Order: sequence, then structure tokens, then C-alpha cells
Amino acid sequence: MKPYRANLMLCAGTGCVSNHSFLVREALEKEIKKRGLENEIQVVITGCDGFCAEGPLLIVQPENIFYCRLTEKDVPLLVEEHFIKGRPVKKLMYTPPDAKAPVPKMNDIGFFKGQMLVALRNRGLIDPENIDEAIARDAYKAIAKVLTSMSPEEVIQEIKDSGLRGRGGGGFPTGIKWESCRNAEGEPKYVICNADEGDPGAFMDRNIIESDPHSVLEGMVIGAYAIGVSEGYVYIRHEYPLARDRLHIAIDQARDYGLLGKNIFDTGFNFDIEIVRGAGAFVCGESTALMASIEGRVGEPRAKYVHTVEHGLWNLPTCLNNVETWANVPGIINRGAEWFASIGTGDISESPWGGSKGTKVFSLTGKVYNTGLVEVPMGITLRDIVFEVGGGIPDGKEFKSVQTGGPSGGFLPADLLDLQVDFEQLTEAGSMMGSGGMVVMDEDNCMVDMARYFLAFTQGESCGKCTPCRDGVKAMLEILIRITEGKGVEEDLDLLEELSHFVIDSSLCALGGSAPNPVLTSLKYFREEYEAHIRDKKCPARACRQLNVYTIDPEICVSKGHGCGVCRRECPDNAITGEKNKTHFINQDACEKCGVCFDVCKFDAIQIT
Amino acid sequence: MITVTIDGQKTEVEKETTILKAADKLGIKIPTLCYNELIEPYAACRLCIVEVIRGKRSRLVTACNYPLRQPVEVRTNSERVMKLRRMNLELLMARAPAAKIVRELAAEMGIEKTRFTIDNPEETCILCGLCVQVCENLVGTGAISFTDRGPDRKVATPYDVTSDACILCGACAHFCPTGHIQMTDIEERILHSELTLGPNTAISIPFRQAIPNAPRINPDYCIHMKTGGCEICSQVCPKECINYDDKDEFEEIEVSAVIVATGFQDFDPAPMKQFGYGKYANVLSAGEFEQMNNAASPTSGRIVLENGEEPRSIAILHCIGSRDDNYHKYCSRVCCMYALKFAHLVKEKTEAEVYQLYIDMRAFGKGYEEFYQRLLSEGVHVIRGKGAEIIPAPPDESSEGNLLVHCEDTLISKFREIPVDMVILCTALEARKDAPELARKLNISTGADGWYIEAHPKLAPVSTTTDGIYLAGACQGPKDIPDSVAQGAAAAGHVIKILNQGELLMDAAYAVIQEEYCSGCKMCNGLCPYTAISFDEEKKVSVINAALCKACGTCVAACPSGAIVARHFTDEQIYAQIEGILV
Repeated sequence: MKPYRANLMLCAGTGCVSNHSFLVREALEKEIKKRGLENEIQVVITGCDGFCAEGPLLIVQPENIFYCRLTEKDVPLLVEEHFIKGRPVKKLMYTPPDAKAPVPKMNDIGFFKGQMLVALRNRGLIDPENIDEAIARDAYKAIAKVLTSMSPEEVIQEIKDSGLRGRGGGGFPTGIKWESCRNAEGEPKYVICNADEGDPGAFMDRNIIESDPHSVLEGMVIGAYAIGVSEGYVYIRHEYPLARDRLHIAIDQARDYGLLGKNIFDTGFNFDIEIVRGAGAFVCGESTALMASIEGRVGEPRAKYVHTVEHGLWNLPTCLNNVETWANVPGIINRGAEWFASIGTGDISESPWGGSKGTKVFSLTGKVYNTGLVEVPMGITLRDIVFEVGGGIPDGKEFKSVQTGGPSGGFLPADLLDLQVDFEQLTEAGSMMGSGGMVVMDEDNCMVDMARYFLAFTQGESCGKCTPCRDGVKAMLEILIRITEGKGVEEDLDLLEELSHFVIDSSLCALGGSAPNPVLTSLKYFREEYEAHIRDKKCPARACRQLNVYTIDPEICVSKGHGCGVCRRECPDNAITGEKNKTHFINQDACEKCGVCFDVCKFDAIQIT
Repeated sequence: MITVTIDGQKTEVEKETTILKAADKLGIKIPTLCYNELIEPYAACRLCIVEVIRGKRSRLVTACNYPLRQPVEVRTNSERVMKLRRMNLELLMARAPAAKIVRELAAEMGIEKTRFTIDNPEETCILCGLCVQVCENLVGTGAISFTDRGPDRKVATPYDVTSDACILCGACAHFCPTGHIQMTDIEERILHSELTLGPNTAISIPFRQAIPNAPRINPDYCIHMKTGGCEICSQVCPKECINYDDKDEFEEIEVSAVIVATGFQDFDPAPMKQFGYGKYANVLSAGEFEQMNNAASPTSGRIVLENGEEPRSIAILHCIGSRDDNYHKYCSRVCCMYALKFAHLVKEKTEAEVYQLYIDMRAFGKGYEEFYQRLLSEGVHVIRGKGAEIIPAPPDESSEGNLLVHCEDTLISKFREIPVDMVILCTALEARKDAPELARKLNISTGADGWYIEAHPKLAPVSTTTDGIYLAGACQGPKDIPDSVAQGAAAAGHVIKILNQGELLMDAAYAVIQEEYCSGCKMCNGLCPYTAISFDEEKKVSVINAALCKACGTCVAACPSGAIVARHFTDEQIYAQIEGILV
């Protein structure tokens, strides 16, 4: 490979691509050529850096200078200043929320500082479409080690010793799963990579594939060797075109290099991978529904009294792991189980369920400064994630709650911010690890409304097979809607709790089994909000508009807004009257409480009581 | 074998037995909605959830598909289980308020009303999935499936249109626990026989007292023959008698004589729209009514309406398709008497009024007229006049029937409108549709109505024009049972005569071809109604088989060379006779 003076690592994850990072790339290449720097400076397209809120991102290596929110217009200035004059451009750098000066180096930024990269070890450092760059970063080295120097049993023991647990949500010890599948009767066996990530706002799996598809493939090859499998599937959502394309490219390149296919590394071991596209049903992320979908049947879960490691795909032993789980495997083989087990919480010497080891990737969204993808060691506190990595709550608002684990995760209150993030502690608090969604809520979020929102999602995504999930969740949602509209009654809370436990206890799969979590945790930690809705017919966060009373402060309306009349013109119900320079009034009988007036008034004259 | 405890009772079961089956063994009933033993458990209704306790751990599982592998304790009616079951039923009551089975199960648990929103008070589908499972896995057609998801889930055909994949087997409707799926005839014809007497099953004994008295599979209805699926019969047959490979076979039998006793077929009254057969469920053909009266019928011989109630009045309409210029001009002979028998049966079994609508009452046999007189004294109403039309009665509480029969009472010259609950149509006896086909094969002839023609109406009423072939019963014309028996005995007598003689005495009259005149044109070959003429390829002349020839003379008249002569009826002989008469 040719050496360059500087490598411009341009993020090409879905977030940055949507923000036109490919246009920036064109502009950069044009400008570099124009300035005659093409032999000195190279533009490298990389996978996602995770800091999606600030995209498109560009990291100049080896200086480690971090630029963000780039547009093609910034390019001439950047090239001129940084690469010709040698002066990094401050105004294109990242400035933390409360800081005055920008932070030039990537590793000094709070968002990156608190992270620990295992599954995402190659993010931002390699071109995901070039296998040579991955190999330069040790990709496929673990396969060589496994195939030439380890027996399948040794590989399984190594994974067991590492304490790796399923990252898809269940947290089942990976080594035990592999061992059961290896020991199960029936041939052939299969391995599957679950890349059907359906949680709203979660994009861990997409990112791993987009930034380093080879880590997933390598993990699958190792798993296949350990279990004794020669066929694998990656089930990926159709909505992930970029990830799918990169996976295709990676598989083709790996095949060309003999890292997939027949007789890998001349050891007689055969393994190949096929990509299956999912049509976007959330429930197909459930292992049995996913397998039904691969078989060409309707994606519906079945009872797992007979485990899929014994009777899975086409009724044959099948080992299904999530993208992140597979991506963790090569690191464990390369660096050893001991290293992996040294990260995280608990003790796994007695029981594999005794601790949570390694790191976990979270997609941090909601009311935080630094939304994006983060990989943090297990055992980190929620506070560290939200305030250190996430940079805290914007606009000086108060933190209210954080939801972990996707749409069926529970809401954890401020009291629990010092909770350590691991499988057991999250479950104990009424939430879950899930696949790693993390939504932060502030004082403006009504917890009843949030519970309603997430329940509406799970209801819409329920396959409808079993009564509790189909009709129980529907009944719960009806009650929540009733409460947010001010029509709730005192008995509704008991009924909600009763229904929640019914749905959890009787549902067929984990979708229904966890769907009531947002309701149960909000009832547990934020019960007073429910009571306010029911007893006082008020929404403390003012998010449930049907409960709000909108009035106009005459003072502000006249003195600041001079009776501008925007609210009057925008009101869809013609409920507002008034004249220029005079105060306006809202006719409460006509007001449908849409809240448009509140949104459009620039002078904060609209008040909610 | 493992020992499990269910509700305090211990039992030994094989490993992998489901809790449901183990409980069933102990006589413990666990309610289910989506379970059927013929189908792999679907575990969707969640009603059969029970508590499994092992050591200190308690777990909720569905009994229908949870395999017992360890000695555990199962509680099917703990408070925790009952709470879930009650909530489940309450939710199902909101989904399908009209489903009787759900209401009954809920009532057993003491639930009368649901606390949840009812979207459709008429809904009966509980989405148990039995129909979908049956269609896909048992029948193997997959014509119906679940569509949409979550609360909007429903069972449908693709795009909700009538599916060509559906083989109309009715298995889905049969398995549906709530009656949500109903069979409708595609031509909108109600078949009373199917409603009252059960559907045509693919496996049945062909008719009562059949020999051998064994069931056989009708490949037209059998799902297995169509799709390769199902096989329920072989699963339930304890003696492993079901043989799907058995096929219809053709056998060739050499015989010396044939008795044709193919009988008649019932006239189909459906085209006579005025009687509403097929449109109104309580308009029956005579055959259907007769079947209903049989003690072995699904109604056990009771006379009931389609809704299971006893009729208040019945009209019996004579001459449906008989003595009718538009259908059959002949009298079907037997209807008057069986109509009187029906009236007698109705009077004996029910309190219903009976009306006989006749053109002429033909009680011609020994004791028949007496029977007619007896019926009159039993209070049967007889109206001289053919039924004209049947219409549904207007909904009126005071009405004495749900149908109105219009007729003219010709004895009092008045139009009448008779309210009745049930109508029996005395349908004509008609020749079988396939009678002409058999006639061609046997070289016998049929009349304009399709009945087989005997050799001579008075002198040879049993024989046909082909020697060795005899007629018996209603294939020759409408006949009652005594007449059929008599003719059958006569035919048998003829046959015995032939069999004893060992040879047939031929008529001396037959045609011969004079080879020297035959040009070999073959014209006669096709003309011979008895296929007695063939062509001798060596001599290039036609030849008559004297044993088959009936001396009808057709070939004699047709031969362009005048090469054929009828023995005993040569031209010379006929001229001589003519001359003899003239002189």
C-alpha cells in the first residue's frame, strides 16, 4: 500500500450518507486534485463513527483531527487551510455543548473518550468495501488460529470462558448455545446471523455491518467451525440497503480470498454464507419467526419448548446469534477469553449467567446532546452514558427517564441513574438490555404518553398469533389512550397492571412477553403522572394535548408580539380572535387542542395550564 | 416413563407426552380453543396455560404443546392459572362476542360480561388458526391464511377473492370451533340433503345394505386423492384398513345372458323455478323425505324442518315432472301411492296437517283404493288441482307456515293459498341419463322417453330385440316394487332356460350376401343395427353373421347391387305372395 501524508477518513454510514457525505467526498477529491495533492493525501470512505448527530464526519489521520457537519462548500477552505497551510480549521471542529473552545482531537471528545471498542474495533479506520484494509487490521486472523491450532471443543470452551452472552436481547450464554447445537442430533446444521434489527431508533447491527462486515463473517466462520456447520444465513432487513450491499461485497471478497467456501485455509473445512432479505416485520427478529421467514413461511413465532439449537431451521439444529454477538467472537479468539472476561460485571466462574462481560453497543437517542452509536464496557452506569458519553440533556432541561432495550424496554427514573448497565441489573429494575436501544427523555416527555407511544408500536408489530399479545396489548393501549385523553378512571391503573402481568405471563414469544414493560415501569416509577391524568385531568409534562388548556397572556401578546395574529391565522378551528396590536383570545369551546398556536407563537404568549 | 403429578394425582407417562394428553389420561379437562389432536399444536389461544412446578421454580406453559421430560408437578387450576384464563376469555369475548364456545367457557368461569371494547358484536372468529392449519398442513392446499397482523389479523383468501386453490373440501368449516366459516354453494343452491342429512363425505358405505357392506373412498371428494394430504381416516382406523392405492379396475367377464336392471333416476325439480326447490330449505324431493324417514338417517327418522323444529303442516305435490307437456308426458305410476304413504307417516309421527295436491288419484292396485279411503278418514286434506307455485310466507306471527302453496282447487273452482312449513315434491321417475349409452353397447333400443323397449309389449315384455338380453324393473318404464320383482323373476326364468339348454335356438329368417354380386362397397356394414355385417378383407366382400342377424331387412333394401337376400323373404317369395293375393 502506498504511504500518504494524510488519510482523510470520511464517514459513510447511513447517517452521514444521508447528510451528503458522498458529495463532500467528490468535492474533496476534486479539490485535492486541483491543488495537486493527490499523491500526498488520500480520501478513505469508512464505516460509521457513531457520532451521527454531527455528521458528515471527517477524521484526519494520523493527526486525529475531528471535523464535523461538513458540507461541500467547506471543502476548499479546509484543503487550503489544513493541508496546504497546515492550520486545522477550528470552525469545522466539534464544540461541546457548554464549552467555548472546540476540541480538535477525536480522542479528546467526551463522546469518544468514554467508549471502548470491541465489536466496533475497526469503525472509522477501514474502508468496509476493501478486504485488504480489514486484513491489515487483523481480520480473519482468528480464523487462521482456530482452523490451524484449535479443536472445535477448545473454541467453544474459549467462548464459554469469555462470558460472552447474546447481544440480541436474551443474553443467553453464547458458548452454551454453541455447545448444545454441536451436540444436537441431525445433519446438516445451520448458523444464522440475525440482522433483522427492528427497534425504532436502534441501528447497532446496521452500523457494525456497514463499518466492518468482515468481523461478522469471521465470527460466523468461527462459530460454524466450532459447531460443525457448513451453511450459514444472514437474515437482514430490506430497509438496510447499504449494509446489505457491503455485506455482499464482503462475502464476495472473502470468497475470492478463499476465506469462505470450500476448503478454507486448505484445512478441508467448508463454509459458505447466503444473504436472506427480511421484509421488515419486527416480529421476524424473534428467532423462530425469523427461521419461518427463511423457510418461506409467514413470520410467526412458535413455542420454544423445543429449542432451535435442536429443531430450528427446517427442523434441523440451528445456532442463531445476533450481529453484535458474532462481531465479538474474533476479538475473543485473538485476545483471549481472559481479556474479554476482565471487562464487565459479575462472576461467571459459577454460572454463565453470573455476569455480563465485554462491551455493549447502544444507540443513544432522544433528549441528549450526542445522539449516535456508542460502545461501552458492561457495568458502566447509566449516568456515564447519558451525561458523559451523551453530553447531557440539551436546552437546560431536566433529565426524567431513560428507556433501555428498545420499544419494550422499561423506563428508568433519575434515581436509578447510577445503575450499572448489565443484563441482571436492568432486568431487576424492570427494563432489559434488549438489543441496545437507549432513549433519553426529559421533563417535556409525559411518561403516560411515552408508554402509549411504545405500546402502539408493539401493537402494530404484533403478529397477532396469540391472544394476549394481540388482544391484551390492544386493550392496554385503549386504556392508555383513554387516560391521555382525560377519560381515564381510577380502576384503569389496576386493570392496566392486571393486563400487563397477563400479557407477560401468557404471551407466546418475547414480543408480547416484554411489551408491557414501558407500562409497568412507568406505573412503578411515575405513578403520580398517571394519577394526575386521571384525577386532575392534567398532563404534568403538557405533552397530552387533549388535557391542556391553551390561553394567551394579553400582556406578552401586546407588548412583545403586537398582536401579530400568526396564531389566529394558523388555528385550524378558527378558535382565536383578535386584531393587530391588540391581544388575542382563544375561544375554549371551539379549541380542539391541537397546539399549533403554541408551536407558532414566537413570543411565548401562549400558555398552557 | 416418568411420573408426573397433575392437580395432586400421580400418573406415569412416556417422555415427551404433552401435559394436555397426560391430563386427559387422568380425566382432567384443560380448556382449549386452538387445539385439535389431528393437528400439530399451534399454541395460539393460550387458554390451556398451566403451572409447572419443579422444585422451587414455577413456570407457566401451554399444556397443548409442553412436552413432559422430567417428573414435575402440574397445576391446571391454581389461582394464578385461573386468573390468566379468566382474563384471556374476557379478551376473547371482546374480540368475538358472538362466538358461543367462548361465551360458554366464560360462563363456566363466572364471567358474564367483558370489560373491554367490543368492536364488532357480530364477530365469531377467535383467530384460533385451526382452519388455516387444517387447510395448509392437513389438506395441503393452503387456500386460506392469516392476513394482516396484530389486532387486524384475520383469516382470508389472497386478496379476499374466491380462491381457485380452494378445493371446496369444507375441512376448515368442519374444524372451526365457532361456526365462523360456513359453506355456501357456489351456485347458491341449498342442498337440503346436506343440511339435514350431513355433507357428502368422501368415505362412506355407498348405500344402505350395500354388498359388501364396507365403506369406500369417493375420489371426487377425498382430500387425499386431490392433494396428497389429510389421511385422517388412516390415522383413526384401528385396523389399518385404509388403502389409498386401491383403484377402480375394469374386469372382463364372459356371460351367456344379461339382465338389464339399471332402474330409473329421480327427476330434478330445480329447473321448475315455481316450486323453489333448492331455494327454500324446506322444499324437499320425495327421495329426500323418504331418506329422512329412515330410522338410520341423521334425524333418526324424525320429520323435522331445516331448523330442527317439527312442521305444523306439510303439502305433498303430485305429478312434478310427470303428466306435464314440458317435461314427461307419462304418468310415473308410483307417486300417488307413495304420496299417500307419506301422508300416513306424517300423521303417525307428527301433529302436522297434510295436504295432497293431485291431478287424478290413481290408486289402481289390490288394496290401494282401500288405503286411499283409509287416509281420507285419517283427516288428510286432498285437493284436486296441481300445485302452481310456492312462495315464502310474509313474516307474520299468526301465519301457520313459512311457505305458501298456490293452487286451484278444481272441485270447487277456487284459487287457494295454503300456508305450510314443508313441501314434498313427488318427482317423476325418469329414464337414466346414461340409458342410451348402455343401449348402444347392448344392441337394445330405447324409446323417446329413454326407457328400454321390450321385444313385444304383450308377448315378450321381458325380452329385448337381442337374444339373451332381458329387462327387469324400472329401466323399462315406471314401475312399483311388486311389478319390478315380478319382472325380475321372469327375466331370471328366461336366463335359467338359456343356461340349462346350453345353446340358443335361432330364428330361421336371416339375411345372406350373395358373394358373386357383392361389389364390396361396405354400405351395409354401417347400416346394420345389430352389427351383424363385417367385411371379409381377403375376398373383398361383406359377410353376415347369421347368429346376430334379426332379419330386419335394412341391408336388403339398401344394397345397391341387390346382393343381399333375406331368407324366407326373398323378392321372389314376396312377389309370389303379392301375386297370390292379387289373383
